[in-house]
Amino acid sequence: MTPPQASNGAVPGGGPAVRLVEAGGAPLLARPYFAGGDPGPVVAALATVPELLEATAPFLGAVLGPSAVPLRLKEIVILRTSARASCRYCVEAHTVVARDAGLTVAEVRALRGESDLDGVFADAGERAAVGWCDAVAGIGAIPEEVRQSLTSAFAEHLVVELTLLASTTLLLNRFCTALRLPTSLAVLDRLAAEDLA
Amino acid sequence: MTAGAVAEAIASGALGQRVWLYSNYHCNLACTYCLTDSAPSSPRRELAAEAMVTVARQAADLGFATLGVTGGEPFLRPDMPDTLAELAGILPTVVLSNATLFSGPRLERLRPLAGADVAVQVSLDRAEAPPNDQLRGDGNHGRVVDAIPRLVSLGIRVRVGTTLDPVVAMPEEERSRLCDLHRSLGVPDEDHIVRPVVRRGRAAEFEMGVDAGPADLAPELTITAEGAFWSPFGPTIREGRPDLDLLVTRTTDPLSTPAAAIARLAGARAPGDDARLGIR
Repeated sequence: MTPPQASNGAVPGGGPAVRLVEAGGAPLLARPYFAGGDPGPVVAALATVPELLEATAPFLGAVLGPSAVPLRLKEIVILRTSARASCRYCVEAHTVVARDAGLTVAEVRALRGESDLDGVFADAGERAAVGWCDAVAGIGAIPEEVRQSLTSAFAEHLVVELTLLASTTLLLNRFCTALRLPTSLAVLDRLAAEDLA
Repeated sequence: MTAGAVAEAIASGALGQRVWLYSNYHCNLACTYCLTDSAPSSPRRELAAEAMVTVARQAADLGFATLGVTGGEPFLRPDMPDTLAELAGILPTVVLSNATLFSGPRLERLRPLAGADVAVQVSLDRAEAPPNDQLRGDGNHGRVVDAIPRLVSLGIRVRVGTTLDPVVAMPEEERSRLCDLHRSLGVPDEDHIVRPVVRRGRAAEFEMGVDAGPADLAPELTITAEGAFWSPFGPTIREGRPDLDLLVTRTTDPLSTPAAAIARLAGARAPGDDARLGIR
């Protein structure tokens, strides 16, 4: 059997770098996060420091969950930023979420850097958001023309939110990459079924 | 949650008034029912003396009333008598010991404890040596019985802790002989504590003792090198790693962080949901 090939071309090496807490052994403050079933490896890793989980989980929920930014645009930002940061776990997980949010296979491939963006996104706002992700995920100053594109497409509060979303995604990208968090079998199966593995 | 809420939880009895400190995890014995899987070669996981004193000072400020020191065998640490004397200057302290190290120079080092507000709780499980030593190692009973009068003669208050596997009931006659024994050694009935083996750590490996979760164990803030736990029965070791199911927080300094968290957890228990097993 061929090992799962990550979308960024890297073969996942080794298991997670830290203990992933399971429901039966979850610390007291972490138990509510396991009540609804497997909360995923980010929560399972954070659960080893329950007071940080208690602070982080609501924050992540607020930034990544339903908000003024439509789900489709949110997933464009998350997937593009994760691809720029070469986060295997986040790209794999959010490829599935993006498809569920209505993005086409061609859009997903373009966001993952596997094909040209040209002509894939007709909406000027979405194109501006992708450019914004590329700039935020890079280093140094943000080019003024990129900022102009975003601010002309979105209201100020959405600019703030999109920027926090990209920044928070970067935080998660590095967390998941550094700790070698594993992609679930269900996600890997789905990626394989859609030829997006 | 504020420090006042912690004090209120302690005053109301929702939260235990004692803070436990796991001074170290290594031990000269390797008892079959040990919660912490302790043995001579165990990783030490020590709390520095200064850290223990810091916890004690903050515990007093938060409204806790007493301290407990346990391990491992605390007296494997040469600094333990002086540390205990300092802790006892802050809050009354009980230290749990297997009492097998109290002879010669090690006994002499206990002199700072004479007259201090420190009780040494020694483990003695059975009236006679054979069943006791089966669990606690050859020669254990004799060494403990020899040590208790030495401690008493130094002016140190001694308590006897008896840990029993409820599955293997102690006959009433033996219980009576055990009580006769501790009385004869200078330990009164009020300083004899009987508690069940809890099925965690090595006891779980040997399928001994009673199952105990947070609903069964009284909340008593317990500080270790690896974080703060719900109860001294919490920071158990399995396959070389600490169990996390009774972890409260990793943060232990400031103590207000775990204290507030455990007070919140204790306060969230349903009214009347007292610790069913009453294990101390």
